[in-house]
Amino acid sequence: MNEKKKINTKERMKKPRNEMPLHEAAKRITNFEEVPIGYTLEQAMDEAGRCIQCKKPECIGGCPVGIDIPAFLSLLEEGDVAGAARKIRETNFLPAACGRVCPQDKQCEAVCIVGKKNDSVAIGNLERFVADYEKQTNMNRVPDMPPETGKRVAIVGSGPAGLTAAYELRKRGHAVTVFEAFHRGGGVMVYGIPRFRLPLEIIDDDIQLLVDMGVEFVYDMIIGNILTLDDLIEKEGFDAVFIGTGAGLPKMLGIPGENLNGVYSANEYLTRIYLMHAIHFPENTTPLFQGKKMAVIGAGNTAMDTLRTGKRLGAQVTCYYRRSREEAPARSEELEHAEQEFIDFKWLSNPIEFIGDENNFVTGIKCAVMKLSEPDDSGRRKPVPTGETFIDEVDTVVFSLGCDVNPIIPNATPDLRVNKWGIVMVDEETCHTSKKGVFAGGDAITGGSTVILAMGQAKNAALKVHEYLMGDFNYSLNVPTDPNAPGIQWAGRFSKAKR
Amino acid sequence: MTSIAKETVKKFASREIGQLQATLEEIKGLSGLTAEQKKEIASGIIPLFYRDHSEDDDLDNLIRNAEKTLALLGDDVVDVVISHMVEADMESVDHFARALGDIGAPAVEPVLKALTNHSADGYVLTSLLQAMSYFKDESALKTMRKAFEYTGHANPQVRSAALHCLGRVSNNLDLASASAEDRSKMFDAVFSSLSAPKAITRLHAVRALGEMLRNSYLTAEQVDKTHKALRAILGFDDFEWDVAYIVRAEADRFLHLCREPAAAGAQSNGTGRYKQEFTIIEKRELVPMTHYMRVNAPLIAKKIQAGQFIIIRPNAHSERIPLSICGWNREEGYIEIIVMGCGRTSMETIAKNVGDKLQDVVGPLGQRSHIRKHEGACVVLGGGYGTGAIIPTARDLKALGNKVYGVVGARTKDLLIMVDELREVCDEVFVTTNDGSEGIEGFVTHALDKIMKREPVSYTLAVGPVPMMMAVTKMNEGTDIEGWVSLNAIMVDGTGMCGACRVSVGAKTKFACFHGPDFLGKDVDFTELTKRQKMFVDKEKIAMEAYGK
Repeated sequence: MNEKKKINTKERMKKPRNEMPLHEAAKRITNFEEVPIGYTLEQAMDEAGRCIQCKKPECIGGCPVGIDIPAFLSLLEEGDVAGAARKIRETNFLPAACGRVCPQDKQCEAVCIVGKKNDSVAIGNLERFVADYEKQTNMNRVPDMPPETGKRVAIVGSGPAGLTAAYELRKRGHAVTVFEAFHRGGGVMVYGIPRFRLPLEIIDDDIQLLVDMGVEFVYDMIIGNILTLDDLIEKEGFDAVFIGTGAGLPKMLGIPGENLNGVYSANEYLTRIYLMHAIHFPENTTPLFQGKKMAVIGAGNTAMDTLRTGKRLGAQVTCYYRRSREEAPARSEELEHAEQEFIDFKWLSNPIEFIGDENNFVTGIKCAVMKLSEPDDSGRRKPVPTGETFIDEVDTVVFSLGCDVNPIIPNATPDLRVNKWGIVMVDEETCHTSKKGVFAGGDAITGGSTVILAMGQAKNAALKVHEYLMGDFNYSLNVPTDPNAPGIQWAGRFSKAKR
Repeated sequence: MTSIAKETVKKFASREIGQLQATLEEIKGLSGLTAEQKKEIASGIIPLFYRDHSEDDDLDNLIRNAEKTLALLGDDVVDVVISHMVEADMESVDHFARALGDIGAPAVEPVLKALTNHSADGYVLTSLLQAMSYFKDESALKTMRKAFEYTGHANPQVRSAALHCLGRVSNNLDLASASAEDRSKMFDAVFSSLSAPKAITRLHAVRALGEMLRNSYLTAEQVDKTHKALRAILGFDDFEWDVAYIVRAEADRFLHLCREPAAAGAQSNGTGRYKQEFTIIEKRELVPMTHYMRVNAPLIAKKIQAGQFIIIRPNAHSERIPLSICGWNREEGYIEIIVMGCGRTSMETIAKNVGDKLQDVVGPLGQRSHIRKHEGACVVLGGGYGTGAIIPTARDLKALGNKVYGVVGARTKDLLIMVDELREVCDEVFVTTNDGSEGIEGFVTHALDKIMKREPVSYTLAVGPVPMMMAVTKMNEGTDIEGWVSLNAIMVDGTGMCGACRVSVGAKTKFACFHGPDFLGKDVDFTELTKRQKMFVDKEKIAMEAYGK
């Protein structure tokens, strides 16, 4: 142990990054097992030893939930995995999921000082390792609970935002009930993220932790329709409500042929497979129409998930994106994994029409060939049509263009203010909506981002809900009234408010 | 001259590789040798083949050279080579095989003859087939025709060797020289070995197919067949070919059961205050395969409105299906549904009895029916299972002081449902049957026509099969009638999250689950809806067959 301490900064900076061992591409495209294998303890301790323990660490600010990264790495380097796990859990309740699906390359690892001269420390991989090790060795994860406060909170939605808020509020002694519209919990982590990226056990394990802490889960509940927000507060006696309903309304292309058979939204395609288990048809009776030549439109994380899912179902898959690879919004690791898995990419191809046969099944996709314009004033290069088009033969199309906010709750709650895109408007500081006692977080207030950002926001909102419940909530609320106001944007470390 | 041969042969006693190479070159320089002499020289060269040349590049080169030299001696030495080869060990066989291959045409007949002579000895057959795999052009063609016979051999080694040979033939034989018939026979022979019991045979079959693919030996049809078979082997589809694959596929199929026992059922529904149990408290068969059910669902019963629907999953493995509601009791906390057993999930639902539970009931979903006071009469029309769904709307219309007519259609008298229940909420109910066995003969539109002739109609709501809703919509054309239809699109989540239920309404894409289910009939693209409803018909058949088992 002491020997390790003696390694100086210079040596630490020189150590090569421990690359995450992966299953071979040719093998993994035949199954839905998780792609990364995971570090061994030795690898993890070695990788943690690459952290130079900066005096002013940038990585903490780069993390939406503000994990004390140098502290957990230091504990891990000494082999104290339990200590590292405790350290992470101080700020992040879903480390196993975050270590797998966070875009670390755009967050903590992007600002890592080691990364300036060498490859950055593999923080995500280490977070994953700690969480997995914690589970494998059955460490106690239930935090010490304070006495019950007697306050009740209703959480709508059991996705990343809802679960995080539930954890933060339960940890502070409030009675928490989570309402979920589907028949199982996890939200987008179940229906939208493939099993080869995030196995179900991990999600269920985190839900189990909440159950062990005393959180109540209610499924099959369409809040807004079965119980309105007013019902929850006035009739059911909840002291506060947190809306974490996410962005669940797929965006359409609005081009001819989008309603052909075999054309899916990514939400439908992935839901059929991962929530409804259509790959285990007919034991599970939800059907899936899976063609041989599949086109996926878009190049975000969900598009990568869809491409790789299609590949695993035996299709020849091609990605169509109107910009070039540089502009692809997907996490770099996902893009690389997709490229390794023999997936074709047609950059600068903008779908303009889907062609169908007499039975309304899709048979072709017509694309305009694009080129990037010169950078405009903001430095952004816009795709512009070149005038050329091409037609590819396809029998399945999945569009992955992002989502709008699900309208059920806003529709049923006239006094809940939304902007013209349906995003729930909140006070930026507190995440309080225009309705008293109702807070919101996650994609419902941003209009769609990532698991970790949803969690970051939910965590921030949960702290405000706690203040509200404890009666020391004295903010002057500023909920935008302009229907053109954008959703909440995450800029660096979320909320510097006093804790 | 004999002495020259003897002299040369003696030189093979040397262990010195350089010297041996020189000897081989010397042999190549000899000319005018008799058959006897050639045989003697061959016997001299052959022992080189038995040397262990692993990891020794020089020796390896020497042996390659020896093969070539031996081949140069030509047809006279074929018998010698074959007689040695049948005795040779596995490592050395390949050298004899190459030499025979290089000799080419003159070696073909003797090799084929040897095949017949040694037909009982699997080991020798394997060696001979190996030699055959080195023949080129015309010789390869002859070889190929013979090799077919061995692709069905009982000995897996022989069979594999034959497959290997066929694969090589496609390399060695110009595509143009092989007739379509030969190629077709070749493909059939190889392809049928994909289902051989031994993995080694299948391995060689796959390789041979691969070689043939690479050399463009296959027709488009054969490529397609191969594509399917290879995918099956890789487990890409459920075309059950490979025994090992079936085991793997089965394992994969049930793997998730070990992992997600919770996901299957235990996770459903709350534990405390909001615990919901969707127990069936009453069940009646209205007509064969169509059941009325009363299901305990107090929270839904409290809120549901006319026109809204629910989504159910009868069992933990079930698909989510939308169902309309024919009534509810807010105090007693139940909802009433009509389920017609027409697919897997509805069959599983009607198989449940009083006291059984439905796994999930979700709702209320969608928008309530568009109800207001109208000047003229309101007509609600129901066909088949849709008859139940019009009752709540009729009741609401009536409550606002409208004059409400109900129309119920069926093929024949015995299939009419919910007529009495509808009578309770309507001023008058018309019954139509296609065969005239009760009420008006014909379709619901005949009844509507009758009403329209009698008095002004302001509102219609049609719920039933698409052709019926289309017919009603068509009748409303050119009138001021507010003609609603309730669309039964395919759905998954029912909350707007997935977009499976997209319908074109007024040239815009709408979600039947959230914007609907009621839309103005004149705006709806019924043709598209009909075709979209048929998206999974093939899968439905599979699911039903699996249910039968």
